Amino acid sequence: MESRSQIGGQASMPPVIDEKKCIRCGKCVDTCPEDVYFGSKKKHVPQVTYPQECAYCNGCVEECPVEGTIRLRIPLPMMLLYKQAE
Amino acid sequence: METEHLKCDVLCVGGGIGGLMAAIRASELGAKVIVAEKGNVLHSGKGGGGCDHYLCYIPEVHGSSIDTYIEEMLQTQQLHNFQTLGMKRIRAHIARTFDIVKLWDSWGIPTKQNGKYHFAGHAFPGGLRCLLKYEGRRQKPVLTEQAKKRKVQIVNRVMVFDLLGKGGVGGAVGIDARTGKIFTFETGAVIIGTGAVARLFPAITPAWLNNNATRPSLTGDGRLMAYRAGAELQDVEMRMLHVGPKYFARFGQATWVGVFRDPHGKPIGPFVTRPEGLYGDITPEVNKALFHDYWTSGRGPVYMDGRGISDDDYRDMVHWFAHEGLTPVSEHMKEEGIDQRKHPVEFMTYDHGCQGRIVTNENGETSLKGLYAIGEELAPGVSNASVFGWICGENAVNYIKSGHRPDVSGMREQAQQKAALVGSILARKDGADWREVNIALQQIMQDYAGWLRSEALLEAGSAHLARLKKKTYQIIRAGNQHEVMRCLEVLNLIELGELVFTGALERRETRGNHVRLDYPLTNPRMNKQVQIQKRIDGKPVTEWRAEAR
Repeated sequence: MESRSQIGGQASMPPVIDEKKCIRCGKCVDTCPEDVYFGSKKKHVPQVTYPQECAYCNGCVEECPVEGTIRLRIPLPMMLLYKQAE
Repeated sequence: METEHLKCDVLCVGGGIGGLMAAIRASELGAKVIVAEKGNVLHSGKGGGGCDHYLCYIPEVHGSSIDTYIEEMLQTQQLHNFQTLGMKRIRAHIARTFDIVKLWDSWGIPTKQNGKYHFAGHAFPGGLRCLLKYEGRRQKPVLTEQAKKRKVQIVNRVMVFDLLGKGGVGGAVGIDARTGKIFTFETGAVIIGTGAVARLFPAITPAWLNNNATRPSLTGDGRLMAYRAGAELQDVEMRMLHVGPKYFARFGQATWVGVFRDPHGKPIGPFVTRPEGLYGDITPEVNKALFHDYWTSGRGPVYMDGRGISDDDYRDMVHWFAHEGLTPVSEHMKEEGIDQRKHPVEFMTYDHGCQGRIVTNENGETSLKGLYAIGEELAPGVSNASVFGWICGENAVNYIKSGHRPDVSGMREQAQQKAALVGSILARKDGADWREVNIALQQIMQDYAGWLRSEALLEAGSAHLARLKKKTYQIIRAGNQHEVMRCLEVLNLIELGELVFTGALERRETRGNHVRLDYPLTNPRMNKQVQIQKRIDGKPVTEWRAEAR
């Protein structure tokens, strides 16, 4: 099981947290139904320990008090398919 | 291992829409209520991201006949959702929908548009529109607040895995998915609502376990603990399909406004030829396998084509996307420059693999005294979950007043047994993590109990699954408590997989999406029959029974 730290902290699997905007309130950590932030420490920027378990439900984005702090980057295998406009 | 013992009158296992509604009602009626939730009640469960449509019968809108409403409703996907539940039960549900809608509105879940009830989507052009549009984006936080107001004790991050009691259910055991603390609950009644089943069959992206329309942590825990305690399950072998956008698995197909068309622009269904906000394109509800058929026969792909949508319909659709939990999809479309007004978006059939339910009557009672089941333990939909949550909350309180208390003297031993299993999972230095086991399980389910089934395939798959199970108990490991929870989920899924095989072998006919190559006929003699599975001496025993009336 890879954790964020094991993959070098460079990958931006969802959820992606803007550390400059984060006020370290822990609401996302409390909320996440899948507990992707398992192991996060109080009053620290949350740690995305299990990015592959994100269900893209938007719960953490909804509860985050500072808009634009958490982003769900949709992974490549989940990109929508569409027809080009004629 | 640290343990905590909690006492209450009513324990709700699962804090989804149904669990919270049951808790609110039971608490209002004076019971001491605990909700044990594996995640966090704020956004957990299939309704956790919101919802925008609610089956609701309003006589002033639909006419004075509830039967006319039900008849229309049963021509849509509700036929599949509610089949074999029996009319008594369906009537009990529909009759109380408007009361719940009014209640929700008063709590701050808006159910009116410009002061009026607005019905749209999931409908045949010209027919009754049965689904009320409502603004459910914050429905879970609102219900959580209502539960807290009534002093319901919410225990988040606790996965309940077993029920307890002789001569009925009077307790439960669970584990904290963060600290590992074992919880024992002593209670007068248990209401189970742990949702549908994901992760038994592969998600649409191979090995990407969480690309599910429903929540990946819904792993059938409720029906499995009920089964282990001796409750009856029904039609576990039947397969559930759904339709949604390709590669971004989501529910909410009917929130999209457009026409389903083939690559040449021809509508695949006979219902609409241009985007129509009031009705949507109901074609997938008639046959959810149709998109799969288009694909495998070379006639696909099929597109949700919103070109020609009116400005009003488009504005409304964007609004409803946010309430239906589709914000991540609209954000993705924005980022990728996909515009529903210009770009037809590909849709596909999702294979959820497993339907089935816990057997209950119209009061929500299971075959075990003191045990109730709600929500997707029976049938999908927020309307069904909220109404039966409410009904079961009432009935559980009435039941505990009767004073019946099952014997829960085995509680300590059962907790110790489970703690020993958890201890062994944590102690292993090497072995298979939950993900490896889950993928192994999914490939068996897909290949041997998936789209095509036969006695030979089912027997071969079943034998392999038995070996996988044995091996799993020997080597499954977890690095921490979170992974322990995932391991326990997978162990539940394996057991459910076994029941799917048992049921599929016994169902010697083709019916709906259960396709037996060796029994291609749909046997009319089994039209009104349901298949029951029950655990006797540690093994599943099947029985055919007439469906509820």
